[in-house]
Amino acid sequence: MNDNDFENEAKQVFDEHVAGLDAQTRSRLTQARYAAIEASRPRRAYAPWIGGAVAAGTVAALVVINPLNDEVTGPALDTPVAQQATDLEMLLGDDELEMLEELEFYAWLDEADVELDGIG
Amino acid sequence: MPGREVSSLESGESLEKFLAEVQGRALGIAQLATRDRDEALDLVQDAMIRLARRYGNKPAEEWRPLFYKILKNRIRDWQRRSIVRSRVMSWLPGSREEEPEDRIAQAPDLASPQPDEANRLSGAMEALAEGLQQLPQRQREAFTLRTLEGLDVAETAKAMGCSTGSVKTHYSRAVHRLRELLGEHWS
Repeated sequence: MNDNDFENEAKQVFDEHVAGLDAQTRSRLTQARYAAIEASRPRRAYAPWIGGAVAAGTVAALVVINPLNDEVTGPALDTPVAQQATDLEMLLGDDELEMLEELEFYAWLDEADVELDGIG
Repeated sequence: MPGREVSSLESGESLEKFLAEVQGRALGIAQLATRDRDEALDLVQDAMIRLARRYGNKPAEEWRPLFYKILKNRIRDWQRRSIVRSRVMSWLPGSREEEPEDRIAQAPDLASPQPDEANRLSGAMEALAEGLQQLPQRQREAFTLRTLEGLDVAETAKAMGCSTGSVKTHYSRAVHRLRELLGEHWS
């Protein structure tokens, strides 16, 4: 047996082994191939609805989180939900800019309410 | 753009065709290195995903050496991890739990070779794996890529990251050493 014979022998053994792969192994290779093809697909860089979803999420977070803060400081209205509905109306309403200009006054008023609640 | 999508689709189809062509041989090579089918399957899947992600947009003629370069590196990483793992395990006797028997996996497959033929083939493959284990790494890679995968000298050089002259030297030494190790009638 010379080098060429040996190479051919090795190749033949290997080829027969590959050709005799069982069904389960072939199935797993197919799955691996599909996973690779899926991984090669380009991902969408930007979806226009993401901006809207982020805005909606922010509003929803305000509605959920702020009642918790109110529970600490003491809600001015009957329920936290009612308070949030009022806050949202104010934020989305025509008076929004005016309210922002007078933010310092509202902060003071808020602190004054807390102090009065504590006394009462 | 529709044209771009078609191009991407065509690229995906040709990549799948390429992977289907090389998957069996790639698994065989990984199995010779790991001597463990599940580990070999994981390595092949990993190499396929890396090729698709990083080089799927490259010309198709470059895929073969790139794929085998990735697979070769994954096998090397696996071998390094195995050495570390076996060292750690040797300090912790009895920590490896027996896995439950998988009866479905052990069921006979009608498409597979008959038992006698399967035994002969399995013995020959085991001997080849044993022989390859005893070769220096570069010789093992040169023999695996040239003879078993069928890459030409230039592709092998690309996959191994060396010159064609080095490939020829490693390959020639590998064949001589393997012939010594396996004997005249090993298969």
